[in-house]
Amino acid sequence: MVYQHVRDGRFQRSLSLISALSSFVSGLEVAYEHYKGSYSNLIMYSPVILSGVVTGAACCAFFSRRAAENVLRVTSAITLADGIIGFGFHIRGIQRKPGGWRLPITNIIMGPPIFAPLLFGTAAYLGFMASYLRREEDSKYGHIRYSGWRRELNEGRFQKHLAAVAALWTLFSGAEAWYSHYKSRFRIWAQWTPLVISPIQLAACIGAIFSERIARKMLPATSVITMANGGMGFFYHVRGIVRRPGGAKTWLYNILYGPPVFAPLLFAACGFLGVLASALRREKR
Amino acid sequence: MKSPLLGRFESPHEKDKRILGPLQRISRQYRHYLDSEEVDYCVVGVGSAGGVLLQRLAKAGFSVVGLEAGPFWDPERDWVSDEKGSHKLYWNNLRITGGEDPLTFGENNSGKGVGGGSVHWAAFAPRFHPSDFRVYSEDGVAVDWPISYDDLKPYYELLEREIPVAGPAYFPWGDPHGYPYGPHPLGGVGDVLVKGCTKLGIRVCAGGPVAILSGSHGNRPHCIYRGFCIQGCKVGAKASTLITHVPEALDYGAEVRELSMAFRIGMRDKDHVNGVFYYDRDGHEHFQRAKAVIVAGYAIETPRLLLNSACPGHEHGLANSSGVVGRYLMAQAGNVVLGRFPSLIRMYKAPPAHAMTEEFYETDPGRGFARGFAIQSVAPLPIAFAKQMMTAIGAWGWGMRRVLMDYNHWATLGVLGEILPWPDNRVEIADEKDEYGIPVPKVTFNLHDNDKKMIEFGKKKVMEVMWAAGAEQVVQESRYAHLVGAARMGSDPATSVVDKFGRTHDVHNLFICDGSILPTQGSANPGLTIQSLAARTADYLISQGEKIWTSDKRDMTPPPIRRHLAVRDSFTKGVPRLFR
Repeated sequence: MVYQHVRDGRFQRSLSLISALSSFVSGLEVAYEHYKGSYSNLIMYSPVILSGVVTGAACCAFFSRRAAENVLRVTSAITLADGIIGFGFHIRGIQRKPGGWRLPITNIIMGPPIFAPLLFGTAAYLGFMASYLRREEDSKYGHIRYSGWRRELNEGRFQKHLAAVAALWTLFSGAEAWYSHYKSRFRIWAQWTPLVISPIQLAACIGAIFSERIARKMLPATSVITMANGGMGFFYHVRGIVRRPGGAKTWLYNILYGPPVFAPLLFAACGFLGVLASALRREKR
Repeated sequence: MKSPLLGRFESPHEKDKRILGPLQRISRQYRHYLDSEEVDYCVVGVGSAGGVLLQRLAKAGFSVVGLEAGPFWDPERDWVSDEKGSHKLYWNNLRITGGEDPLTFGENNSGKGVGGGSVHWAAFAPRFHPSDFRVYSEDGVAVDWPISYDDLKPYYELLEREIPVAGPAYFPWGDPHGYPYGPHPLGGVGDVLVKGCTKLGIRVCAGGPVAILSGSHGNRPHCIYRGFCIQGCKVGAKASTLITHVPEALDYGAEVRELSMAFRIGMRDKDHVNGVFYYDRDGHEHFQRAKAVIVAGYAIETPRLLLNSACPGHEHGLANSSGVVGRYLMAQAGNVVLGRFPSLIRMYKAPPAHAMTEEFYETDPGRGFARGFAIQSVAPLPIAFAKQMMTAIGAWGWGMRRVLMDYNHWATLGVLGEILPWPDNRVEIADEKDEYGIPVPKVTFNLHDNDKKMIEFGKKKVMEVMWAAGAEQVVQESRYAHLVGAARMGSDPATSVVDKFGRTHDVHNLFICDGSILPTQGSANPGLTIQSLAARTADYLISQGEKIWTSDKRDMTPPPIRRHLAVRDSFTKGVPRLFR
């Protein structure tokens, strides 16, 4: 039955909730990451505030169709724009480091995480998509509106679209895993796993854009592996924090400078998007 | 290839430009006053306090000249990332040291050049505790301050934003507070301190408080953890008044006159000064006329200038009717405990200052001595480490080579202990003269019973922490850090040199504003307190306006704090402050 709802694009409430949750988690992540950067630019507050706003809007969207189609859509769009602006600022941050783009590897690794703002934007993107879906209580042919790409979202025909989003997210999150694990010099073997899995997941997502077969057969398998890997990573990251000097006694400090606790969950979310994409119907074009 | 990828590199040799950091530039062409022009304020010494004073007074619209004995640094040109090559940042002129426990000079307890000691401080920036201001009433030793912690607290908060200070969101000791910039990641030494303390159940603070940027701040980039903090930060991440306050002072029309060595303060009459005599870079004598003079030369040069300015009416030195000028000099006990670990520590990584505990700061009657100490991360680079190991275990020759090959396995923690002010610890004038022909200072320093007990206890405690962290060998070296006192403030003219705003009791338009006015020193690094006192003195001068020059009546009402005079962008950056 869940499958049928997803196929028909009747899962606005569920996707709103998921969007609320992921926005909340990325809000926490950005709050402490920017704390680490001391909020040295006022704009660094914007993602923290906006993620709260999107979380709130998405919660409202769970209860009300009007909220979903107005508040959630607008706030998500703004937040998405903020993510793109943030991407620009992070590029500028890397450029401003000693050596700037003359030392690209060092400064990408040591500078502001270049893809993080785009990853942050993805939660808002989910919210934005949710605002065009139909609700769970709608009948199979009820409430079909719009035209063009909106209509496809409305009817749950956006497999290629979502596969492309999942591909991008996998790319960003895999790249983040690559350079941050590189920064901690692959101390334990498990740090290699996201690097091995993300290209496979990326390939499956790209494949799913072009072939329905891949979307139906391969994507679910790789996506489940990705989710499992993200879950395992979450465990390792929490363990890494507890194992730092001072452990739980200097918890705030250790969360700040320990392994980023929520990052593996964002990686797991790539898997979730893949699962979702594989269940959807394809666009007619 | 004719030009490098992504364009030409910027030349540090362009005219009219000083490169203060990778992104910070200032022009060389600024206001210049003639000696014959009477300026409102002449500040002697452009260091921690002098830089803040210049910026505040200039921004408030006064004409002000800063005389600095050292050069106006151009970090890109003048500084090197090298221990030996950075010795020119210290005051290396002749000083005579004596007493039973003589102090070492020409090191980190002095500074020369614009920015002064703040150019090479490790940038630990803790506040003093409220109890530091009432040492006599609480512990029956030393003396009380004429001001309380609450008088200084708004200035602490302001300066922490201006320079700005990175540290934890909650700092539990003294008056608990949070910091405007987030904490730094720990280096190996910080890990040792945190590990040892948590094992012993001692509260510890990781990642600050230190005046080094953990996030960028306008045109100052954040710290890149290259470790050359006390060699002069070429990144511009570590705060020094050279890059925080002096550029803005110049923008508002202050003049910084480099390589100008003040040697005497000129008198208009017995109760008023009218300017400063100084030698320029070529040794020619000049006289800068000023309506008021502020001496900010730190604990040795300030009393030296006052004592050398003796004249009819002030036979024992200027403003010295009490005989206190030069007395009550204080250094902090800075014993260094070194521990060897089986794993790599790599002390050279990260700023030396990044973790501390003030758990033993206050008096504990059970310990048998008054006042206390702090434990801080130290992390010397190899030459300093070699010196410490030479004193600690007598390493020499082949033994020294072996010790140095082992450098990456060693961690150092430091005691920062409060030595009380004693009248026999003093600065006097010797018969010898320096290259300008100015009589040099002679410093006498003795430890007293309370100080020795404190050092002994502190040393043992740090060793315990070191063992608890897992060290396999622990040694220690005795040394001292920070110099303050020697022209202390107080409300009684018979026992102090200046009043609570830094004005000398004897001369109406002569002020002292630097570390030398501190009556006691706490177990906190004095840098932030010196700058906060300077901002407070500046606020006082600005509220008094022309009365400073025209009236002999002293208005002792505390000035309102002038937040709008803070350096640009102080309030648009930083984390939300949950604990004030």
